Amino acid sequence: MIKKAVLFDLSKCIACRSCQVACKQWNNLAAEKTTFFEGTGYQNPKDLSPKTWTVVKFFEKKVNGNIIWAFRKHQCMQCSDAACITVCPVKAMTRDEKTDIVYVNEKLCIGCGACQEYCPFGVPHVDENEEKSKKCTSCIDRINDGLEPACVKACLTEALEFGNREELVIKAKARAKELEIAGKRPYIYGIKELKGLNNIYILPEGLDLYDLPKSPEVPKDIGLLNDLLKPYSVFTLTAAAVGLAIGYLKTVRHEQVKEKENG
Amino acid sequence: MKVIKSWQKYKEKKRMRVNNQNKKMKEGLKMQFSRRTFLKISGATATCAILGDMGFCLMKPKSAYAQNLKVKYGKESTTICPYCGVGCGQIVTASDGKIINIEGDPDHPINQGALCSKGSALYQVANNERRLTKILYRAPNSIKWEIKTWDWAIQEIAKRVKTTRDASFKLTDTAGLTINRTEAIAALGGAAHDNEECYLWSKLMRALGVVYLEHQARLCHSPSVPALAESFGRGAMTNHWIDIGNSDCIMIIGSNAAENHPMAFKWVTKAMEKGAKLIHVDPRFTRTSSKAHVYAQLRPGTDIAFIGGIINYCLLNNLFHKDYVVEYTNASYLINPDFKLSDASGLFSGYNLEKRSYDKVSWSYQLDENDIPQKDKTLEDPNCVFQLMKKHFGRYDVDTVCKITGTPKDVFLTVANTYCQTGTPNKSGTILYAMGATQHTVGVQYIRSYAIIQMLLGNMGIAGGGINAMRGESNVQGSTDMALLFHILPGYLKSPIPENKTLSDYLTKWTPTSKDPKSANWWQNTPKYATSLLKAWWGDKATKENDFCYSYLPKRSGDYSFISLFEAMYAGTIKGLFAMGQNPAVAGPNLNMERKALEKLDWMVVMELWETETAEFWKRPGVDPTKINTEVFLLPAAASVEKEGSISNSGRWMQWRYKAVNPPGEAKDDLWIINRLCKAVKELYAKDNGAFPGPVVDLNWDYGDEPDVHKVAKEINGYDVNTKKQIAKFGDLKDDGSTACGNWLYCASYTEDGNMSARRNPQDAPNNIGLYPQWSWCWPVNRRIIYNRASCDPTGNPWDPNKWVVKWDDVSKKWAGDVPDGPWAPQDKYPFIMNVEGHARLFAQGLVEGPFPEHYEPQESPVKNIISNQQSNPCTKVWNTLGVDLWGTQDKFPIIATTFRMTEHWQAGAMTRNLPWLCELVPDTFVEISKSLAAKKGITHGSKVEVSSARGKMIAYAVVTDRIKALNLNGSTYEQVGIVWHFGYSGLATGDSANCLTPHIGDANTMIPEYKAFLCDIRRLKEVQND
Repeated sequence: MIKKAVLFDLSKCIACRSCQVACKQWNNLAAEKTTFFEGTGYQNPKDLSPKTWTVVKFFEKKVNGNIIWAFRKHQCMQCSDAACITVCPVKAMTRDEKTDIVYVNEKLCIGCGACQEYCPFGVPHVDENEEKSKKCTSCIDRINDGLEPACVKACLTEALEFGNREELVIKAKARAKELEIAGKRPYIYGIKELKGLNNIYILPEGLDLYDLPKSPEVPKDIGLLNDLLKPYSVFTLTAAAVGLAIGYLKTVRHEQVKEKENG
Repeated sequence: MKVIKSWQKYKEKKRMRVNNQNKKMKEGLKMQFSRRTFLKISGATATCAILGDMGFCLMKPKSAYAQNLKVKYGKESTTICPYCGVGCGQIVTASDGKIINIEGDPDHPINQGALCSKGSALYQVANNERRLTKILYRAPNSIKWEIKTWDWAIQEIAKRVKTTRDASFKLTDTAGLTINRTEAIAALGGAAHDNEECYLWSKLMRALGVVYLEHQARLCHSPSVPALAESFGRGAMTNHWIDIGNSDCIMIIGSNAAENHPMAFKWVTKAMEKGAKLIHVDPRFTRTSSKAHVYAQLRPGTDIAFIGGIINYCLLNNLFHKDYVVEYTNASYLINPDFKLSDASGLFSGYNLEKRSYDKVSWSYQLDENDIPQKDKTLEDPNCVFQLMKKHFGRYDVDTVCKITGTPKDVFLTVANTYCQTGTPNKSGTILYAMGATQHTVGVQYIRSYAIIQMLLGNMGIAGGGINAMRGESNVQGSTDMALLFHILPGYLKSPIPENKTLSDYLTKWTPTSKDPKSANWWQNTPKYATSLLKAWWGDKATKENDFCYSYLPKRSGDYSFISLFEAMYAGTIKGLFAMGQNPAVAGPNLNMERKALEKLDWMVVMELWETETAEFWKRPGVDPTKINTEVFLLPAAASVEKEGSISNSGRWMQWRYKAVNPPGEAKDDLWIINRLCKAVKELYAKDNGAFPGPVVDLNWDYGDEPDVHKVAKEINGYDVNTKKQIAKFGDLKDDGSTACGNWLYCASYTEDGNMSARRNPQDAPNNIGLYPQWSWCWPVNRRIIYNRASCDPTGNPWDPNKWVVKWDDVSKKWAGDVPDGPWAPQDKYPFIMNVEGHARLFAQGLVEGPFPEHYEPQESPVKNIISNQQSNPCTKVWNTLGVDLWGTQDKFPIIATTFRMTEHWQAGAMTRNLPWLCELVPDTFVEISKSLAAKKGITHGSKVEVSSARGKMIAYAVVTDRIKALNLNGSTYEQVGIVWHFGYSGLATGDSANCLTPHIGDANTMIPEYKAFLCDIRRLKEVQND
């Protein structure tokens, strides 16, 4: 297997949002009804959803009287340690053997929402009508036919680059050095996070600006689910057990979140 | 309890899933192979669906993804994006007569497969239930559309054209001079159309005697043409998109290129990767500024002061390219000693206050005994252009400039110093500009100021240099070339005036002469081009004996430009209007007035893809349709991917597009519509004479019932009248009637070797600077960088051998590289061959308000002009139609306003506000205001506000941001706001139009409206509602 990855050099992104539209076009995703700008800056829609697999976020900051207007394309990060895979009770969340890409096998997905619940980046979203979890597939259909993902191809400043992960990591480091010399505060995100992301960012203005978790983790309570599921995974597993486990864990997580909010 | 609830929810979900899958299984057998279904039925669906009934799929999930590529079985064709003027290539995939995918063409050298958000959304233009599919008619005072047939509509329109024309046609003016025109029919539109459509439209309208012939170019780049042509000889973008990548320093001023010409940024980024500096000068901090090394804020309407300051800085610090300036510009030319520079009066010599114009006698060169201009190559004579220029711009010192522009001094100096570093021979600097520069009462002189700094730095003709006037519509270059403007004929020949009584008068008046043997004076060929045009239009009927039907051309008297057109419409002169893909009810200035003007029409024909604001002006909010008499014909047109033809991008590349699918329903391409209409009108005139029928009846029009676009393209290129062979190059055109040519500039585009604009050879030229000479075709004669002989020193050696454009080979006696500006040896001719004196003009006599740019305040300004006592452009026409042309003052409207565009929408909005994906990104109209203004007015981000000017009001959402800042002008603080103008009352995403606020005043040379600087006020909507 050769790990495939996308390098996002955000120092080149002009937030034209071609990636956002190209994604909708290739994947035949419907538009969402929005009002004004639902995120910060010109961001729309407010978040990822079953119909929106990537969204460009806008960040505005004033430093010593100068304005920094930065942008980040947000989508599935393609984690090596992928919470969605670990948590999926029916193994619908699939890692492709050839490319290392994680995608939803919709034939298996039951739309339980565990992946949505546990993703540290809030990526998968369950389509309540179809009862399927939806997220960026890295355009694996295109990659298998030798094409770049739709967003990468559409990117006009070549801020997005698709390739072998190993090579892109080297490139990222070299580019970060250049940016440092140019007076930026580059931060490479995705080399080590969650044992390595296959979507790697060069953040020219440092990590804090871009609405990314500093050290993302697979939620700890996920282990419990794993333990519950493991012995059964090769045998018939009753729906009740899965349901119970998921229901239980959802509740636990819900309460943890609540506690966090309260505390 | 929660656990049990979740479990129950899960059980319910599972039950539904099983039911669904059973249903799908049954349906699956009947499923047609389509885009979505095949995504669903791939993989191990069947097995899993069966097992799914038991609750699980025990199969190991297929780990290698097993979907087929959706585009694998479609039919591919290429096209060019219909949005801005970059001209990106796209691949369209169609299956079963439907477009299933559109993405960037990876082989296309400009975009290399990429697209912006608009280009990526083109699929939704082709597949959109909002498209017009029927011929619609609205009777006078009716409240609804009726569905009609093509035959009916074409016949009825033809009748109205004839009736209106016959009733209004004038053969002579009050002085008895022949004019042969109608002022009762007006035509708008064409910038989104193919060259062939524009050409036929130009031909048909001229034959009808229409003088109110205008289109989008008037509103976007009309000042570029005279400013650049007056400076260098041609009015176009000098270099091209790919060439931006060769630059060492890019100054974007009066443009938000990252948003409005996004693909420009592919090349800006590539230049920056090689170390280029990016400067952005703009009132607002935009997505362009976010990438700039230096961002300089300036007040809208002060570019001449800003650039004047840079020119002064350049001259004071000796940063100019002296050899270039001496050899290739008119710096050394001696000017008439009577000429007086502007002083405290703000006026040059020769001003007449009553006429609001100049007598330009003193703005002339001193000639020697052979009538050749006298020069002082030492540049020391006090009457030489260089010394006059130095004195003129000496008044633009840093302090004065920054008091006018509001730019912090240190920032201004950084810009000046950074940009002037390109004055060395091995450095190139380019200026990219767009509407921020043109849409002012002094717009032409803004661009003149850019031209002057580029001449001084030796940046013209070189790779990575030039003045890049970025066009905003896919074919606004072509539609301008085809002369959908009242004052020109195809190929920038002048449209005749009554004083040009005969063809010979016309040619004498408009053909320049030079006695200087080193001047190529290319326009001396005017007679060949004009005669060949007449032959193309009136064919065999055009003979030497009848002056080649010269009398058939309508003669213009005065101004028929966009603002004048709407004033005439408001006054009731214009009875019938064609709006071909133009939407003035959003894009025109002072919309409350212009929309009301539409009500005064007897009839209007709209050719469109959508029901636009213009098409449904009669049922717009706040009006009673039963009181509006105008008849409206709404004809459904074809989109770019539904027809074949060529368009010309901003870099003058003529690119061929292919038809991928048929237009929806009964929609037809405009070529078909124009052809039918012309034939119907011709028939009427053949049957029943009418007024001055000659030009219509005799019009050379033979393109078939289903018009052959190639036949039109070939006519544009030109052919030998006798042999019917295609002309190879414009050098072969004749003035004796033996050649016919629709547009001499496009000569060589469609030769005996075939259609040059369809070429797709991806090889670069030997100089390897991204010319791609065999990809498409470019006017003139496939020259990719114009004025390229100036990229060499006077012996023909490139100033910068590392990125040479052309070079002279002394052995072969030929130029290598790009197609040179003429074949002559470097020492034989001057390089600016389109200017009669062969030199680029620092001092230019042809513009109305002065030979050097002088800062004047916008018509509505909060401050007094501090550079002189002349407040605003002394030559522009101020309209004062009672009750509608209103002017705001600072006491009532204290805030500076400017309007802007953005990536996600396009122009008047019909092409984007009807596409769900783009509406999702930007659904509502908004105004950007500073945090200080927001605090003062109690406005919060995302709340609704009312913006008002002397002319109207609009409601918009407030974007409160640090990106827009109050300005410090001469010690006082002034707030400014920016308003997005794409919105209107029609379409999927609607909103108030910013142009309800903008004034009816234009540039003194070209009458482009001053959209970019006016006065307004703003308040919270709550307050408005409490009123």
